[in-house]
Amino acid sequence: MNIIQGLVDNYFYFASIVIFLIGMHIMLTHSNMIKKIMGMNIMETAIFLFVVSIGYVDGGSAPIVIEGQTIRFINPLPSALILTGLVVGVSLTAFALSLVIELYKCYGTTDSDEIMAIRRREQ
Amino acid sequence: MNHLPIVVICTSLIGAFASPVLGKGRPWLPGILARIIVPANAVLLGILLAHVGDVGVFHYFVGGWAPPWGIALNVDYLSLYMAMAIHVISTIILVFARGDLGHEVRLDGHRWYYTLFLLLVAAMTALAFSNDFFNIFVFTEVATIAACALIAIKAYRECVEASFKYLILSTVGSGFILLALALLYMVTGHFNLSLVAGEMAAAAEAYPMNIMVALVLLIVGFGVKSAMFPLHVWLPDAHSSAPSPSSAILSGLVVKIYAVVLIRVILTVFGRGVLSTAPIAEMLLLLSSAAIIGGSLFALAQRDIKRLLAYSTVAQIGYIYLGISLLSESGTMGGLVHIFNHALMKTLLFLAAGAMIHQTGLRDITKLSGIAKKMPITMGVFSIGALSMVGIPGFNGFISKMYLATGAFEAGKPAFIIVILLSSLLNGLYYLPIVVRAFLGAPDEGEVFTRDRIPLSMTIPLVALGLACIYFGLIPGPLLELVRRAAEHLILL
Repeated sequence: MNIIQGLVDNYFYFASIVIFLIGMHIMLTHSNMIKKIMGMNIMETAIFLFVVSIGYVDGGSAPIVIEGQTIRFINPLPSALILTGLVVGVSLTAFALSLVIELYKCYGTTDSDEIMAIRRREQ
Repeated sequence: MNHLPIVVICTSLIGAFASPVLGKGRPWLPGILARIIVPANAVLLGILLAHVGDVGVFHYFVGGWAPPWGIALNVDYLSLYMAMAIHVISTIILVFARGDLGHEVRLDGHRWYYTLFLLLVAAMTALAFSNDFFNIFVFTEVATIAACALIAIKAYRECVEASFKYLILSTVGSGFILLALALLYMVTGHFNLSLVAGEMAAAAEAYPMNIMVALVLLIVGFGVKSAMFPLHVWLPDAHSSAPSPSSAILSGLVVKIYAVVLIRVILTVFGRGVLSTAPIAEMLLLLSSAAIIGGSLFALAQRDIKRLLAYSTVAQIGYIYLGISLLSESGTMGGLVHIFNHALMKTLLFLAAGAMIHQTGLRDITKLSGIAKKMPITMGVFSIGALSMVGIPGFNGFISKMYLATGAFEAGKPAFIIVILLSSLLNGLYYLPIVVRAFLGAPDEGEVFTRDRIPLSMTIPLVALGLACIYFGLIPGPLLELVRRAAEHLILL
């Protein structure tokens, strides 16, 4: 019962792990390279969700300090780091897509299984 | 003096960003820039090493902000050892690239090549020094993209394919690493390595699951990037299809920096306390033994010389992990000293193979018979590298193997000496036939040339590496002293 209660209370952690696994599954099993890149983005988004939810405080507001007021703030550090994480994710996606374009020019397909078949036929 | 680590990282970064601008219309300029920056930084690191010898190891706070707010750089013997290795080997590779790059990368791509090379050097140096988890993550990504692009820059489709495969698997690895950082931050509240280490005992008590999952995710994440045995599938394609200077830096340095970061994190952040609650070290020992034997067996089946060298790297990474996970002083020293020794040997072998491919266009080892009569210098230094790989006394490979074997004894696990001996035998089985065939085989028909006929900028690095292999085999004292200090730092914590 404890486990179920824990899952219900921390549903955002659970959700991000499920999304992470979906993304990883797409990345490693699909043969279409565009889908692989989508999987990569889904996986990264899941981690971002996880990190941001670590810093979340129930009922907290954005950490803008106003003189004389004491309110509950959310932890800004994870959110700030995820901004960097997003930039890293974008550059990875851009680079991966440019590689796919290059491969499409060579083989005329974006499917890695077909590329393997073409290469086998050539040998 | 204290600012030198950040100076070294930033000059490489600035050089990287300046290359495409300065090189527009002047494709020769970025190469010269890189060949000035990297050796100059090697000298600066030498000065820093002497400075650390005077004042002791210290933490450098970027921008003067102390943790937990700022980023800290860890200036100790381990990071200095790695940074020195990176800069010395990169310098040699850059000199070689001057002669070799022309026939593998189009002239208008040269400035981008040096951009990526300097970016990779900067990222690896930052990884060696960094004492902050998020910093490690960001520079891991920078190094990954730069490394993938260094493979894809050769506009052949095999390279692009290998690069894509490497990128996808690396991204899975980065995902694991970021998740692990989040899990650690959750229970310790810090990203700074030292502060996390301080909280570790309490956190492991209260949240053992978080710590254990984070540890496993880090091992798998960095394991993918450093080609730990069952996760090495991307390496042979990536390292064999890249241009020869890229292969040399990827195989010689890039996979190892991830191994060093992993080792630093496991030993200094998690520490012996957490390691003793689960058989992590034993698992690493088994995986590295599998890597040593498996990598060698795969290499035995290869005919493409660069693929053979790439599989050999998988085996050699096994040595490094084996040495560290023995958790004894000699073992750790063996693993660490093998990082530099293997960087020398593998760079030498990849560059020699590159010179042969440059000259003959042949990659098939069965067709290289009699090549020593045409290229005596290249094949001569290749033989030095091969003998060193096998671990013949007098060459530097022997020193690492001796320390690994002593470490196995110290740790009370003499079974791993058999693994080391067996793999030396296997190394001999796939390296020596190439050497024997090259020296004793009849030369093939085809182009006849009497001397090496490779540019001087390719001969000098090869000979320098060959001499270094012998030098560090005969006089390993100063290197071992540096490694002993690095190992002491790891083992004490």
